[in-house]
Amino acid sequence: MLPFTYALRNLFRDLSRLAQTVGGSALVVLLLIASVALNQGMDSVLSASGSAKNVILVGKGSEESIERSEVHLDAESSVITSIRGLEEQLGTPAVSGEITYQAPIRTASGKEDQALLRGVLEKALLVHRSVRLLEGHFPAPGEVMVGKLAHRNLGVDASELALGQRIYFENEALNVSGIFTAPGTVLESEIWFDRNDLASLTQRDTLSAITLRMDNAEFDDVHVFTLQRNDLELAAIREDVYYSKLGAFYQPIKVMIWVTAALVSAGAIFGGLNTLYAAFASRIREMATLQSIGYTRGALLVSLIQESLLATLTGTLLAFLIAYFLLDGRTVPFSVGTFTLILTPQVILTGLAAGILLGTIGTLPPAIRCLSPSLPKALRSS
Amino acid sequence: MAFISIRSLTKSYTKGKTSVTPLENLSLDVPQGEFLALMGPSGSGKTTLLNLIAGIDTPSSGQLEINGRNIADLSQRQLTQWRATHVGYIFQLYHLVPVLSAYENIELPLLLGKLTKAERRMKIQAALDLVDLSDRAHHRPAELSGGQEQRVAIARAIVHHPELLVADEPTGDLDRDSADSILTLLQQLATEHGKTIVMVTHDPKAAQAAHRTLHLEKGQLINNPRQ
Ligand SMILES: Nc1ncnc2c1ncn2[C@@H]1O[C@H](COP(=O)(O)OP(=O)(O)OP(=O)(O)O)[C@@H](O)[C@H]1O
Ligand SMILES: [Mg+2]
Repeated sequence: MLPFTYALRNLFRDLSRLAQTVGGSALVVLLLIASVALNQGMDSVLSASGSAKNVILVGKGSEESIERSEVHLDAESSVITSIRGLEEQLGTPAVSGEITYQAPIRTASGKEDQALLRGVLEKALLVHRSVRLLEGHFPAPGEVMVGKLAHRNLGVDASELALGQRIYFENEALNVSGIFTAPGTVLESEIWFDRNDLASLTQRDTLSAITLRMDNAEFDDVHVFTLQRNDLELAAIREDVYYSKLGAFYQPIKVMIWVTAALVSAGAIFGGLNTLYAAFASRIREMATLQSIGYTRGALLVSLIQESLLATLTGTLLAFLIAYFLLDGRTVPFSVGTFTLILTPQVILTGLAAGILLGTIGTLPPAIRCLSPSLPKALRSS
Repeated sequence: MAFISIRSLTKSYTKGKTSVTPLENLSLDVPQGEFLALMGPSGSGKTTLLNLIAGIDTPSSGQLEINGRNIADLSQRQLTQWRATHVGYIFQLYHLVPVLSAYENIELPLLLGKLTKAERRMKIQAALDLVDLSDRAHHRPAELSGGQEQRVAIARAIVHHPELLVADEPTGDLDRDSADSILTLLQQLATEHGKTIVMVTHDPKAAQAAHRTLHLEKGQLINNPRQ
């Protein structure tokens, strides 16, 4: 085996090449971990938002979009009386008729942007179990409570949605009475209104959907209810299924993320391969000399791979550092909520694997090309 | 039996339909401890013959025995191993590894064996002393003169005590004084250390330093005078 110092010093033979391989692999790894983190963040917020114990009742034909759905107000009491085995707390069954709405909200600073609104009564907390009030109280008429990340979707500073602040909807001023968290779910980006407030502000007399939480009831019981009461024109969908379908809706965006990352990476990889070809080609005679001394091609290949791995793993480390400071914990708003980029072990392992593959598989083509000429021929080359 | 014994050695290269035969039906004996010079016009097959003797290349046909071993039969892998223990190769342009110091360059053949660090240090020191470069041990090739580089290359070629040294125009790139000191060194290695040396040269003065000179032309030895 060739000494490790040989690989190490070869690395510093050409500083611009070193900068390119380190920088290139950092770019590739960074793009990869950013893409994985984006995908994971989006997936995890959607999957955390839906519970297998919750069923959403929507108007028939609106299974894809709760926003377009309309459910008669009376349906809520029919659900409570007809379906057995729902969760209850202090005699109140976990059934929450809600209005969901997307509309522009203006904050005190005058900035107006699309927000996710939900009109609820206090029993909403019985079905949305991840929701916890951090400060203040549940909204009474004329009040709203805002999710901890709602400001991200509005594109304003968190202070503009702080307790006691005012927001404006349809020229009506509302007081922020509470701040809530719903860790890892889309709810955390919403603004919750008193249900009757939102109904009158949006001039509607129907609900968007009814969410219920099952105890020993089963989905089929709810489904049978929708069939028995087909006069209500309801469709039942499990909450987790609803959100995973929503995830499928974002598939094209994910594909775009991957395609972009792949195109930029391909550029960096081909550039890197090119410099490696040139760098190794300039050492053909030197490697032939080492073979004439008695080193095998295998030993030389190992040394070349060591050299490349040093560069690509340095790049990987650089990518991790950049990701740690620029990506980790960053929240990204999208149409139905906000997700968080997290450097999970899986993300880190993916990046590390990429760095190792770049240094090994990526080194093979130029290394093999440079080790393939016959020994006498290689010794002759200059 | 001669140290190098070559019988009916032929080497041809085929590329597509054309084939070149730089060496044809060549026979040659070199006794142990002889310093042999090979001369001949460019393209006459000198380097080709040297590469065959050094186990760098394999013959197309014929017999090539070094110290009683027919290296024509060895596989690539066996040849590599054989080179590591039995041959030192000296090149016209030294071929030192630029990122390694003189000391580290000389250490290269030893790292293939099982010596301890201290044992290696002793051998490298001895080789450096022999080529009179102890004070340059930690210089990189770029910091050495051509003559010094070639002496480092010789130290690298002998540090693992091979019986055979091959040198392809070792003084071709050097001034007269440096060339003379290299030739003296080679003479010393043959007479005092019993190395068998085959040296290719274009320089008649260099050839004079050898015990015997052979002339190669179009792949054949044209005369074989004993001196
Ligand atoms: N790999 C090869 N493929 C084809 N032809 C080759 C190969 N190697 C050498 N030759 C040919 O063999 C002949 C002898 O080459 P060789 O290098 O042995 O000459 P030489 O005597 O060392 O010349 P010089 O004094 O210029 O170094 C030349 O005609 C050369 O073109
Ligand atoms: Mg030659």
